[in-house]
Amino acid sequence: MPKMLVPYPEKCTGCRFCEMVCSLYHEGKINHVDARLQIHKRDVRTDFPVVCTHCIACGDDCCVQACPVDAIKVVDGIVTIDENECTACGSCVDACPFGVMRMEETAFKCDLCGGDPTCVKFCPMGAIRYEEPNVEQYEKVRKLLEAE
Amino acid sequence: MKAFHGKILKMDLSEEKYAVKTIDERYVRKYLGGQGFAVELVYHDIPQGTDALAPDNVIAMAPGLFAGFPLPTGGKTAFAAKSPQTGTLVESIMGGVIGAELRHAGYDALEIVGRAEKPSYLFIEDDRVEVEDAADLWGKSTREVPDLLKKKHGWDVKVACIGVAGEKLVKFACIDCEERQAGRGGLGAVMGSKNLKAIVIRGSKDLEPADPGALLEIALRYQKIMEDAPSFKEDTVYGTGEFLGWINKEKGVFPTRNWQQSVFEEREKIDPYYWATRYVSKNKACFACTKPCGKLFEIKEGKFAGVAIDGLEYETLYSLGAACGNASIESAARGNEICDVLGMDTISAGATIGFAMELVQRGILTDEEVGMRLTFENSEDAMPAMLEKMGNREGFGDVLAEGVRLASKRIGKGAERYAIHTKGMEPPAYDVRGMKGHGLAYMTSTRGACHLRAGFYAPELVGKFWRWEGIDRQSPEGKGQMVATMEDFMCVYDSVGLCKFSRGFFLIEKLTEVIEVITGLKFTEDELLKIGERVHNMKGHFNYREGVTRKDWLLPPRILQDPIPEGPAQGNVITPEQMNRMLDDYMAARVWTADGEPTPEKLKELELA
Repeated sequence: MPKMLVPYPEKCTGCRFCEMVCSLYHEGKINHVDARLQIHKRDVRTDFPVVCTHCIACGDDCCVQACPVDAIKVVDGIVTIDENECTACGSCVDACPFGVMRMEETAFKCDLCGGDPTCVKFCPMGAIRYEEPNVEQYEKVRKLLEAE
Repeated sequence: MKAFHGKILKMDLSEEKYAVKTIDERYVRKYLGGQGFAVELVYHDIPQGTDALAPDNVIAMAPGLFAGFPLPTGGKTAFAAKSPQTGTLVESIMGGVIGAELRHAGYDALEIVGRAEKPSYLFIEDDRVEVEDAADLWGKSTREVPDLLKKKHGWDVKVACIGVAGEKLVKFACIDCEERQAGRGGLGAVMGSKNLKAIVIRGSKDLEPADPGALLEIALRYQKIMEDAPSFKEDTVYGTGEFLGWINKEKGVFPTRNWQQSVFEEREKIDPYYWATRYVSKNKACFACTKPCGKLFEIKEGKFAGVAIDGLEYETLYSLGAACGNASIESAARGNEICDVLGMDTISAGATIGFAMELVQRGILTDEEVGMRLTFENSEDAMPAMLEKMGNREGFGDVLAEGVRLASKRIGKGAERYAIHTKGMEPPAYDVRGMKGHGLAYMTSTRGACHLRAGFYAPELVGKFWRWEGIDRQSPEGKGQMVATMEDFMCVYDSVGLCKFSRGFFLIEKLTEVIEVITGLKFTEDELLKIGERVHNMKGHFNYREGVTRKDWLLPPRILQDPIPEGPAQGNVITPEQMNRMLDDYMAARVWTADGEPTPEKLKELELA
């Protein structure tokens, strides 16, 4: 099993540094709209990161199944978009239960920065870790999102 | 020039009209951002003699130059206006995300003038700017307001708002954004006077640094430097109160019971070394901070069960703890929550209650006048109860909601002898009788007694900082020039939007590299300090124009007449001679008149006249 991003809401301080460096690393500019992960702050108790789980948490491969032109594939455990095939229809964005599939000219999403995730490097609190997938942690985030 | 949009949004609530003013590189070179922008706007746009609660008062908000860019601890936002508490120009800096979001909406600053006809909130979504009805939000808390607005506009809008205290024009009402506050000087009351309950922003525009690769490298470098420093553990485990034991026991300058003592004998009970392991369930951070000093403090049982705050900060351990003689950390946490929810500055609120408690102790106030028993001995219950009354302006809380200066005048009977303030601002948690230069800084601070305008407690307590070594905290010698220089230093900090807890990592010379990578503009250390001096002079000039002169700067009687009674700083006092000598030195260093007016030569040199 390849390593994945694993969120730890109980460690998240809500500083949003990960959002900024994610978009800076990928796009050379800062915009949380372009960040491949999101920090939600709901109340004084609740800050949590929402990351792409590469369909491990979804189980039924929501975005992969939703794509009408088969532009989204799982390659070596990583959910990958073929930008040449993508028609920007938005089906995958609607399907993603975590809201981390983004859309501009084509769909785009977390690619784990090629195996050295920038968000993890910048989180000294360990609120996002790069390790064996942990379904229990993904479920925590899913419940927090449902409560929103 | 990168990073800036070149636009300032100016909103007139009376007319429900807005305009966009353009700014260029020259403006940035002159004022830098953050506090520099906010102070420039209010300095130039508030008519002379304006009442702080009148429609003509201007409130400005500006993200620091770094805010929105990933630099650890560099996400601060400045607010400024004329203060209803001090009558001076007040700026207050918060760690909330609202300024960065304004930048994503395409504006480098926001200026608000006028008064909305009815309770309203400002909604900004990129080019869409609306004044919306806030009838449903009026009377709601700083926790309910963002909740309701996010239900309406979506989870990702950013909200800055006031609580009931701001609506009721409590003199030290604050502005809240995500449990972070622009706390001091009554900016929340200024919003309340404008019928402005909240500012709601969603921005989708890019922020483009001049050199993205270098910025990422700098961010990682400083994040590691901070993570490897000893202060990382102190911040992340104990928060800003970590040095409480040291200040109290070794230095003896922790003001207690309205400054009647300077050692709190029950300090252990409110020390983070006691409570962090018992009540803290996780760390909380300002926007863009990777070394969080905020703490999620939760009480699960006992009479204060249900309390959940981002706190308690060092200053609050003083104001809702020692200043009120309160050794119950649970009660202090409840007090902190009341202040947060109603939207009040914890420092002024707690210090004002401590003042009232001393008046009761001396028989100047009776239980009947106060409407309850309000003493140092029963503060555990009385302090939170009185905070509720102050935030809602109920009963005697209405008097205390004015702060110590105005409340002491209203109470009379010699109460002014016990009102501890400069320029109407209640001081924070450093007894300046044992640190002379910091005493000078309480006087020269343009918003009244403040630990952060010069941050001079640190050089004096440690004995060295930056350009200076062997600093003697008991000596007035050389303090005039040092305090003036530190004020300029801090104006630069508040203009780039860096946390002052980072001043050991980023001395001014380190900032030039970061500014260049973000904006593409080169500055020298001297040029940055000159901007800091310009910002401070605008504030000083504004204050003098509004009639706040040397006589209003002076230290209160307790600091001049009552020596510290016990502990390591026993016998310490600032004599009137020391006070006047330091003030004279300071005025000379500033090239201001003895009365506190910036001279025409100085204003000309700074391109302000």
